[in-house]
Amino acid sequence: MDFQLTKEEQLIQGAAREFAEKEIGPAVEEIVSSNRVPEEILAGLRELDLFALPVPEVYGGAEAGYVCYILAMEQIARVCPGVAVILSVNNLAAAAVNIFGTEEQKKRYIPQGTRGDTAFSFAFTEPGTGSDPKQLAATAKKDGDHYVLNGTKRFITNSSYRGPIIVFARETETDQVNAFILDKFCEGYSVSEPWNKMGVKGAPLHDVYLRDVRIPAENVLGGLGKGFWILKVAMALGKIGISSIFLGAMLAAYEDGLRYAVEKTHRGEPIAKFQAIQMAVADMFMKYESCRWMTYRLGSLAERAKDKGDILKDSAATKIFVTETAVDVARISMGIHGSYGVMEDYRISRLWKDVIFGPQVEGVSHLLKVLVAGEILRK
Amino acid sequence: MTEFLAVAWKAGEVPELLGAAGTLGGGDETALLFLGGDEEARQAAARWGALHRIPGIETRLADTGSVAGALAGAQKALFAPVVLLPSTRRGKETAGRLAQILGAGVLTDVHRMERGEGGAICCHRYALGGAAVSVQRIGTAVQVIALDPGSFEAAPERGPGPVNELSVPLPEGSVVLREARPRVRDTVDIAAADCLVAVGLGLDRKEDLALVERLARAVGGEIACSKPVATDRKWLPEDRIIGLSGKKCRPALAVLLGISGQVQFTVGIRDAKTILSVNTDENAAIMTLSDYVFIADLREILPELAGKMDAGPG
Amino acid sequence: MRIAVAMKPVPDLLQIRMKDRRPVLEDVPVVLGAIDRSALEIAVELKEKTSGHIVVLMAGDGRLEDTVKEALAAGADEALLIRDARLNGADGSLSAHALAAGVRKIGPVDLLLFGEGSTDNYSGQVMSRVSEILGIPQAGYVRDIVVEGETLIVTRSLEDEEEILEIRPPAAFSVLSEIREPRIPSVTAILKARKKPATVLSLDELGVGTGSGAGVETVSTLAPMTGRKGERIPSLEELVRVLRKEAPGGGA
Repeated sequence: MDFQLTKEEQLIQGAAREFAEKEIGPAVEEIVSSNRVPEEILAGLRELDLFALPVPEVYGGAEAGYVCYILAMEQIARVCPGVAVILSVNNLAAAAVNIFGTEEQKKRYIPQGTRGDTAFSFAFTEPGTGSDPKQLAATAKKDGDHYVLNGTKRFITNSSYRGPIIVFARETETDQVNAFILDKFCEGYSVSEPWNKMGVKGAPLHDVYLRDVRIPAENVLGGLGKGFWILKVAMALGKIGISSIFLGAMLAAYEDGLRYAVEKTHRGEPIAKFQAIQMAVADMFMKYESCRWMTYRLGSLAERAKDKGDILKDSAATKIFVTETAVDVARISMGIHGSYGVMEDYRISRLWKDVIFGPQVEGVSHLLKVLVAGEILRK
Repeated sequence: MTEFLAVAWKAGEVPELLGAAGTLGGGDETALLFLGGDEEARQAAARWGALHRIPGIETRLADTGSVAGALAGAQKALFAPVVLLPSTRRGKETAGRLAQILGAGVLTDVHRMERGEGGAICCHRYALGGAAVSVQRIGTAVQVIALDPGSFEAAPERGPGPVNELSVPLPEGSVVLREARPRVRDTVDIAAADCLVAVGLGLDRKEDLALVERLARAVGGEIACSKPVATDRKWLPEDRIIGLSGKKCRPALAVLLGISGQVQFTVGIRDAKTILSVNTDENAAIMTLSDYVFIADLREILPELAGKMDAGPG
Repeated sequence: MRIAVAMKPVPDLLQIRMKDRRPVLEDVPVVLGAIDRSALEIAVELKEKTSGHIVVLMAGDGRLEDTVKEALAAGADEALLIRDARLNGADGSLSAHALAAGVRKIGPVDLLLFGEGSTDNYSGQVMSRVSEILGIPQAGYVRDIVVEGETLIVTRSLEDEEEILEIRPPAAFSVLSEIREPRIPSVTAILKARKKPATVLSLDELGVGTGSGAGVETVSTLAPMTGRKGERIPSLEELVRVLRKEAPGGGA
């Protein structure tokens, strides 16, 4: 076992870090206040190939491994988690099309997820599903060689950008759940006003309305009745992205806490000289290190898994652990900051609103724990 | 026979080169070779005594290969084993090529020289981006040393001396000077300022620059910065950068705000007469380089400080 | 246009610590110098305009294969790595002989680019020495390079003036960091860099003899003594008083 990053991994990590600090950093305030990412930043991320890392080059991807993906997402999220969320959803959906799509679908849709001016969405969640997939209510009615889709999808990332969307719907005749791929803003597609989310700004969430959206039957992704399998794989891959993003936010909180501990003085001494602060510094370090290696290992598992659905247990466990620990670390960092920690002039106050998202989205922690336990006990 | 040959492009470079030679015992017999252009410059240079010139070289200065070739001829004609040049861009570029022709070792950016064991010349120059000072000796028979401008005492004028034309071959060159023009630059030259107020990354709100400007006005200083403030944040123009990749400054007073003191910065300010640092981090490297330190959060103190300084004495 | 870019592996200056006034260089990662990255960037621009080819030259005693990957990711086509224990702490003369031999090895080049100084030592002499060894024209402190037919139009930036020079290749230039902002390599470029050829040769294999150094001897390298007292100012009032006292014009 060798816990060393390869030179290539180091360079990808460094490239993402350099771009994040130079190009995203100065725009964070604007991103947070407008809940939008400036187009030139998206174009820059595209230039770096961060829109589609684990996808073959023939479709415009970078053909990189999941460890590279994690390293890049962590560094982007360290500066701005919202930007990383746009990338993460796009990477996930592009990977799903690459795994399940026909050659035609791959050629047509994946490049749209690599251009930077268009982005993938992934639409499973509905107002009535909560996190129970069985409650899916969107319908797909067969009409000759077409399907007609109807339904409402909730909290959909990238849904206001043009580009492809993967939609899950129940076929009315067979009651099977299928995944469909279609272009956003086709006839019958519309989105709500963005949700007024408290953190992870820059990646707005909208509800998506599908009203008699008519698509050719060949737009089924992965074959009829394969919806839940695709969902399982997507959940496994999506949680790699979420884990990396909150790992990055955790790193930012850790760095802020550390800097404050060294720079803030009390009676002429930096507060880092006090043992209570030293405990906090050690705690942040231990938590970040454990999450970091757990997440990198998840990337290595994903690279080796033939069926990416097989890593769902590890992926879910990592997601729970990293997102909850990110909240812990932000809390510790805020504690180091004292009263300044709750002032919006200090970045930790923004990070607090970001990290609190982690355990709430992409499967709340307790539900995922049931899933993880189920997998363990089934053996 | 003289030990030193001083080579100058501009009259203003002459006194320091001769002064530096003087500290090593190279008094009046140090040979001076003046490459500079017109008669007026030559007369100005001649106030420091006899000088040599190479006819025709004035129009070829842009061709480093030719100049170095001619200088090598002059060095041989004058039998001076130690060639001193100014460590300007022109001087450094020439020094390397000259040294290669002469089979000599070369040291550039030398800010101090002294005699060591057996009379060897020990040269002090910054290394590792300014983090350290290296003392180095050249072991070859002929030595080429480029001296950091502003680091050596000027020699007194020796009174006008004769101009001797050296007949050394001026090699054919292939560099054509199409145009020379003055550099477009900020009207403020921080390297020449008497007082500087410099900001680093510790100043984290752009709007606070207005307060820094007020403070600078109050102390009669110019604003300067560390590199990332200009290159990454783009808050100030790049000719305000102090340090290795910017200017080396020697103000009477340097007020450093939120500067941690990375070596690339400190090499540009360490020759200030007085350094006062305001920083939140008492462990910051800059603290050991300062005459005065004030530990504080810039956000908290800048408004009051600018206000109090504005108000004038009493 | 065939372009060679000489790049020097340097210790990451941000990670150097001082212990007892001595720099601690163990475990400090080796990176490409910032100015060398700018030299590579202008090379890539010229390569794209002239459908050229870029070879990176690197001389040192460490593991250059990893360090050079960054340059290959940033647009160089191949690398010639000159690795030799004799290059440990080599003076500019030996480095110059090594690089000149490297240039001869890779065959005729039109343009040879350097950073204007390495970030660690900054002696700025190697380009001039290599030019003399190869007998080609040179220009230092170059701020811009434009190709005009068979001629290179070069802007040399001196302290007070700029010179616009016409030089016919082959020629060697040292460039300023401001010439171009180095790119951040893309993921694809980083991964593809693995497949680009990197040849490793020793000084003996290049025929660089032992007499090629110019005998610069380093007596010591120590952090400078500052002699400043670091007097703590206790209050804002006192700070104002000190500023008024020390300001050359007396303050306000």
